[in-house]
Amino acid sequence: MSRSTMFSRSLAAALLAAALCAAPELALAQKRGGTLVQITQPEPPTLASYLSTSGPIGQVTAKVYDGLLEYGFDMKPQPSLAESWTVSPDGKTVTFTLRRDVKFHDGKPFTSADVQFTIMEALKKVHPRGINTFKEVTAVETPNAQTAIFKLANAAPYMMAALSGFESPMIPKHIYGTGDIRSHESANKPVGTGPFKFVEWRRGELVRLDRNPDYWRSGQPYLDRIVVRFNPDSATRTALLERGDAHVAGFGAVPYNDVKRLAALPSIEVTTKGYEMISPVVEVLFNTKRPPFDNVKVRQAVSYAVNRKFAIANIWFGFGKPATGAISSNFKASGLYTDDVRNYNVPNAVEMANKLLDEAGFPRKADGTRFEIVHDITPYGEEWQRFGEAVQQQLAQVGIKATLRYEDVPTWLKRTYTDYDFFLTSNFLYNLADPVLGVHRAFHSALIKQGTVFVNGSRWSSPQTDELMNKAALEPDAVKRGALYAQLQKLTAEAAPIVWVQELLFPTVLNRRYKDVIVSPLGIYGPFNRAWLDN
Amino acid sequence: MAIGPRTLLYVLRRLAQAVPIILSIVLLNFLLLQLAPGDAATVLAGEAGGAPPEYMALLRERFGLDRPMHVQLLLYLKNVLTLDLGYSFRNSMPVIELILGRLGPTLLLMGATLLVSVFGGVLLGLLAATAVNTWRDRAISVAAVIAYATPLFWIGLMLILLFSIKLEWLPTTGMEDVVAFNEGWTRVVDIARHLILPTITLSLFYMALYTRMMRAAMLDQRGMDYVVTARSKGLAEHLITRRHVLRNAVLPVVTMAGVQVGSLLGGSVVVESVFAWPGLGQLAFQSLFARDFNLLLGIFFLSACLVVAVNLVVDLVYLALDPRITVG
Repeated sequence: MSRSTMFSRSLAAALLAAALCAAPELALAQKRGGTLVQITQPEPPTLASYLSTSGPIGQVTAKVYDGLLEYGFDMKPQPSLAESWTVSPDGKTVTFTLRRDVKFHDGKPFTSADVQFTIMEALKKVHPRGINTFKEVTAVETPNAQTAIFKLANAAPYMMAALSGFESPMIPKHIYGTGDIRSHESANKPVGTGPFKFVEWRRGELVRLDRNPDYWRSGQPYLDRIVVRFNPDSATRTALLERGDAHVAGFGAVPYNDVKRLAALPSIEVTTKGYEMISPVVEVLFNTKRPPFDNVKVRQAVSYAVNRKFAIANIWFGFGKPATGAISSNFKASGLYTDDVRNYNVPNAVEMANKLLDEAGFPRKADGTRFEIVHDITPYGEEWQRFGEAVQQQLAQVGIKATLRYEDVPTWLKRTYTDYDFFLTSNFLYNLADPVLGVHRAFHSALIKQGTVFVNGSRWSSPQTDELMNKAALEPDAVKRGALYAQLQKLTAEAAPIVWVQELLFPTVLNRRYKDVIVSPLGIYGPFNRAWLDN
Repeated sequence: MAIGPRTLLYVLRRLAQAVPIILSIVLLNFLLLQLAPGDAATVLAGEAGGAPPEYMALLRERFGLDRPMHVQLLLYLKNVLTLDLGYSFRNSMPVIELILGRLGPTLLLMGATLLVSVFGGVLLGLLAATAVNTWRDRAISVAAVIAYATPLFWIGLMLILLFSIKLEWLPTTGMEDVVAFNEGWTRVVDIARHLILPTITLSLFYMALYTRMMRAAMLDQRGMDYVVTARSKGLAEHLITRRHVLRNAVLPVVTMAGVQVGSLLGGSVVVESVFAWPGLGQLAFQSLFARDFNLLLGIFFLSACLVVAVNLVVDLVYLALDPRITVG
């Protein structure tokens, strides 16, 4: 064989090898381009996700800001702005090594100084959940631009679950460091490191987010633009999705009966994935300081009387799973969930309820009723009214006469959490990424705070459960934590200060032409960097 | 009508009278809002999905909710006199900026509705009155009653169903195309297309009102002496209608239209909701449920100014239409 032939053959072989290495990229076939229209309801009041955790805000800002970590469906942390991290054995030091060459949308570099500022000056001080999430953090040391060391007074394993771009967005110190962070002029003009840049917010209409060409994941994002639309009327939201003028809608933006209809269309896909890190649980709250709900047997009876399967099938159109207790079954993957508790979802539930009420000393009078109460309906919308009515009927079956009361949100919040002027009301609370963040507030004695909403409104607590929660918050070992929470779930299910009805499954309506939209347990609260349009 | 010094003095006098009127409206609104239970801090915390007590206390201090009511009121009145309408904490924006941003679309919708409903009402009333008790008159009267009785949101949704979904002639909702981001003349045309259905929906109700009013006024005028005189002079029927009766019959419609401007702002809440039109009506509605008092008071203040201004304009239009009316 001549030298030139050998040479050309080697060259051909080398080129072939190179092509084969590149092939996996081609095989994925993501296409560049396209505009995604997302429906968010209601319109967020601001875009300052470091200052407010109002639900719709995150649906916009999670695409603009990144966090130190991301999470997969197994709930385990993955690198995002932090390339790697180590936790000391006692859990009091967490060292993050940050990614290099990451720029904010205005071109300035992202460094550990931004991490220190975000945690210590923003989230720890003014973020509604950050105040608790980072309360153990005493300092964030920055030995160099690529290293951020969190120093904690006590171990806080739950903190590692709360570092997504949605929950704890990394904001630029050079912008928010000057001026009052509580009323900053850039509050509604977010500048982050995320895959999409904020362009404009036409109030009442839309938010426009354009592709970030300097995103630190080269090649991404695939979409050119994301437009978030606001439509107050639910019928027109459904119409937009049907016509293909809008492509993503979640968090109850589409009424449940329309979801069923849309799911039958060939162009639409409906999924319940993407809420595993939110885990909303529907509950019925007792006022445990007001008779007759100061009696545990009466509370247990009501818990038996509420028909969970009926509510899921008829009010939420099948989008739900019966709840066994305070902690959602989404935590099964991390070993913190157990269903080994008193089961209220049994076939002879009505019988059990009647028996308990008799034992509690509330026999049926001549007209069949045992006692009367007022049931405050959650003023969030249609399905809550239906749920209130269903509960009223189910209570009537066991001899409890409930009168319904319906007020607007601020009035209801004041009545329930400030005046404690209620017997029974319903609500749904997020479990969030870790029970410390979302579950403890429901029955810890330290969270009986008059005037603060969505904390311990039933005012029930016990020294035993308090101790379990305090221990579990500090325990770094996952197995030991699981055991503590198992105990907690058993005791709280038995005491029944709250009736845990169901784990809500929000449906997300998607247009099938858009792929890889819901790819993490944060769902719409994710950055959408992998989403692409298949034309 | 001559724009003499008397007219100008009249206008100035009316404007001077407007100031105490508007201030007392602001005072009344402030007191009314205090009656609503719950405060902005509770709502903000509620929207946040819960908040620690330190955060709530922080909010209350920021909003000045911990100060006594009369102090809050005096501070607000002082600010209003300098046209500082305050800061909306919920929206992290000064109130005046929020309102001005939404004022454009509202004025567009209100203006279009006013034009369509007044002209449509006058025309239909004219057509009905000139063919009184024939099928044309009856058809118009029945249509007017139906339009008056049907709820606005239902009309809106049905129009969307027909023209957007079934026929695909017109866009579904919104003020403009959210994907195209048009500029210049294309944008104007785009907005005009989006304006059609909301305007029709909002105008139908008022058009019905003005039609019936115009018809009644015209029939009223027909029986007057000056019409008999004109007819006996030998003037043609259509000339009598156009030159004499019309101008007199239009006066009550103008009065009514002036009064209805205030209610147009309220009626637009429903239309803005159905058509996702980014106007002040929706803003007011949302801020009520958010107990965003600064924003609400700002919107009420603006409405009060608008109504006072429109009343003045209506009175001046009277001067133009009817030479019998003089100022002073």
